Amino acid sequence: MTDVDDVAVAVPTKGEKGMRLKRSAVAVATASLLALAACGGGGDDNKSSSGGASSTVDTENLGNTGNGMDPTRQGPATIDGAKQGGTVTLLTSTGWTTPIDPSDLYYTDTNSIMSSLVTRALTQYDYDDKTGQMILVPDLATDLGQHNDDYTEWTFTIRDGAKWETGAPVTADEVAFGIERSMDGKTFPNGPGLYYSNPYFLGGDTYKGPYTDPNAQQQAVSVDGNKVIVKMSKPFPDFPYYASFPAMGPIPTDPAVSDPAKYAQHPLATGPYKISQYTIGKSLTLVRNDQWDPNTDPARTNYPDSYVLKAGGQDAQTDQIMLNDSGAGKTTVNYSDVLAQDYRKMNDTGRLVVGGQPCTYFYAIDQRKVPDKSIAEALTWAVPYNDQIVASGLIPGVNAIATQNLMPPGVPGREPYDPVEGHGPFQTDPAKAKQILTDSGNLGYEIKFLFATDSDTSVASKDTLVKGLEAAGFKATPVASTNAKFVADRDDVNGDINLRSYGWCSDWPSGSTWVPTIFQSTDLNEVGFGTNESAFNNPEVDQKINDVFTLPTDQQPKAWNDLEKEIMTTYLPVVPRYYGGVALSHGSEIEGMNVDNTLGMPTFRDMWVNAG
Amino acid sequence: MSLDARGEVVSDEQNSPLVHDEALETTAASKEIAGKSPTAIAFSRLRKDKVAFACTVVLLLLVLLALFAPLITKWFDIYWDISDPNAPDVTDVLDFDGYPKVGPPFHPFTWDHPLGVAPRLGYDNLAYLLYGLRTSLLVAFVATVVSTFVGVSLGLMAGFSRGWSDRVISFVTDLFLAFPYLLGMLALAPIIVSRFTTDLDKLAKAQLITLISVLVLFGWMGLTRLIRGQVLSLREREFILAAEVIGVPTRKILFKELLPNLVAPIVVSISLGMPAFVAAEAGLSFLGLGLTGTPSLGKMVADATPYYADYGLYLWLPVGAITLLTLSLNLLGDSVRDAFDPRSRR
Repeated sequence: MTDVDDVAVAVPTKGEKGMRLKRSAVAVATASLLALAACGGGGDDNKSSSGGASSTVDTENLGNTGNGMDPTRQGPATIDGAKQGGTVTLLTSTGWTTPIDPSDLYYTDTNSIMSSLVTRALTQYDYDDKTGQMILVPDLATDLGQHNDDYTEWTFTIRDGAKWETGAPVTADEVAFGIERSMDGKTFPNGPGLYYSNPYFLGGDTYKGPYTDPNAQQQAVSVDGNKVIVKMSKPFPDFPYYASFPAMGPIPTDPAVSDPAKYAQHPLATGPYKISQYTIGKSLTLVRNDQWDPNTDPARTNYPDSYVLKAGGQDAQTDQIMLNDSGAGKTTVNYSDVLAQDYRKMNDTGRLVVGGQPCTYFYAIDQRKVPDKSIAEALTWAVPYNDQIVASGLIPGVNAIATQNLMPPGVPGREPYDPVEGHGPFQTDPAKAKQILTDSGNLGYEIKFLFATDSDTSVASKDTLVKGLEAAGFKATPVASTNAKFVADRDDVNGDINLRSYGWCSDWPSGSTWVPTIFQSTDLNEVGFGTNESAFNNPEVDQKINDVFTLPTDQQPKAWNDLEKEIMTTYLPVVPRYYGGVALSHGSEIEGMNVDNTLGMPTFRDMWVNAG
Repeated sequence: MSLDARGEVVSDEQNSPLVHDEALETTAASKEIAGKSPTAIAFSRLRKDKVAFACTVVLLLLVLLALFAPLITKWFDIYWDISDPNAPDVTDVLDFDGYPKVGPPFHPFTWDHPLGVAPRLGYDNLAYLLYGLRTSLLVAFVATVVSTFVGVSLGLMAGFSRGWSDRVISFVTDLFLAFPYLLGMLALAPIIVSRFTTDLDKLAKAQLITLISVLVLFGWMGLTRLIRGQVLSLREREFILAAEVIGVPTRKILFKELLPNLVAPIVVSISLGMPAFVAAEAGLSFLGLGLTGTPSLGKMVADATPYYADYGLYLWLPVGAITLLTLSLNLLGDSVRDAFDPRSRR
């Protein structure tokens, strides 16, 4: 879910969830890498050659998110020259407070660490050195799944030789049970099942799950020998992407072992590392799992002896550890963003890794209150993009990347365009905004927006916006809130504000994760904004969204982009501000660390310690 | 020659120039000193105190700087508030990573921003410092005056009235002494913000008033106890008993007889209370519990700590200002106490 805001920006995006998806664009099952590259099209293919630490920021491709697939990838994965041994320390300022039970796991940090190192699923992502993007490859399944004609039935063949940390083989039954378990939204309220399993799986809307309703029979998942078959209630072409979530992996069928309360403390490993110690919100220690067979795994490696994670540190302190690079600091990874004030120094060390995140931050203009498009146009010119980013402690071009489109780079079919004629990314021109307001008779229009008085960054961001708006001839009225109440205040449909700051991250690259989620009308009285924070309610557009869903999957990417462009140039309900990015640092002995741009996390699958 | 009172003897002596007794000479000399009130003695002592003099000069200077902050900032064309329409844009003065593009720490001195620019936030340090000083002095002054007033009134009441009202006041005093005021402020801050969400000017005012109220609320007890103790002992003295006997109204006894005798402890309490309030305001604002829309030295310290390694000046400015202010107030307070203390010998 991923609504992020000025407040959350202070601690950028690690605690975010992915988001709900309706349907997709990518032709999956039969697609070869080539077919997908064609699908991605539009010159957005990532051509950055990212070799670990980068000194310059490639803003063209930073926001790029994975859109490649390789269904034939085979294990073992090896890295030339990589050495065994060493302990990698992981530091972060965010809490590590969200669940790690595979069925209940839906945050980027837990997802990245658990799926890269501990838990296996049907599919997985692997970092591609040449393109710098993530490629979807098989995991426990032998390929990326086979589907029927209308994507309502997916079949995965479970490979032989995969084992639990106990030495028992991973069976199709256990994978099926894991998938079934994800439909128990009451037991796993944090998990992705609520957004994907229940809405898409056959009978998922009524089936309550194996714990909440043990007597009910589910119809979605069945097992045939070593094949797991998942039936859908509606077409789900993106299922191979969803299949990379830990929730789409095996869970022991023995109820004594997989009891949710117990299993949440110690999920059993199928990957190269197993949990030796875990304290929620504090620490995690992973040691090598000798039952894991590299030959069965197309992407993971197990070079370091162990990983030790310590959560909840202070960013300023962590930055000093990373800058000093002595002792254990040499084998340490900080997966929270480097602070802006330490960016230059960290960059000089050559141990800073920057990359994108599939997130877009924007201002949603309340369409019920601001029907005149000229306001949005003036706003697009008036927003002091760079000032705001700097004042809120982000680094323009590094973790706040210039934007125009709503969809970030890397979404198939995306083509850059200018929502407002002649307006370039990060361009602020108060005179032009004033001209637009004067011409449309809206000079002095009142913009009301929220800020949190107890957040330094929110206050600074507010100050810059007030100045920008007033310079452009708006009347700026900041409305005070607090960190704790900010999201509730913003999502109050009756709140007396007309500009809402919002952020959205997609779980996988597809136009269907952007246009319907942001622009499809919602029942404001019943469900509130949902994810449509501009209260954009246009039956014509709703119809067009539904039309795109009925198109052949290979035509959908372009159709989504065209529809986004049409909505933005005709109605302009949102003003995009920036794309997400990350700036992660590592010690001098850490090798193979890049950015997984589907999550904005380090590429743990490729990491090893070079002790010299 | 009347022996009723010493004064009459002395006046008799003065009227008879023929007498030149040595003992009487001494009496005449001591008479001149006796003519001074304790306060006058204290001030004459203060005037001779070099430390007190220096502190007064520094304080006057700081007060003047604070008073003329609007004029000074206008003259330099600098702004503490980055949302001011005339202030430079954040990115005009700051680099992409938040460090200033002009002035310290990486660029040479410039008269545009004599003390540099705040990283990330982009306000002018001098302007912020002056307005922060203003806030500090305002908060400390008002809090001192009000808490002194409250403390003295309650102390007089408690000490002079025997019985239940004394017990009630003493109990309340003990209650407030026991209450953790930081906790109170922690609880109050979000309540205040939620009360004044729409009107930011009101919010800033509300925060200022709350801050002062909290400082007063938890700052009067010491003085109350002190005054009560003094009154308890004075109450039994002959002149008070006499006044009561001849039917002087209580109000008159309190203000004409008791209060003048309490000037010394009150003045000492004021002069030592001021710096404590300055420090308390800075501390609360540092924690983010004090002021948000108003410049505050404590907030500047909080802003500056992450930048200390590269931009030491930014932190030293507010720390220096707070130190200078509290140090001079404290030293002056010490001198005042010494001056008023009949037992201290200089």
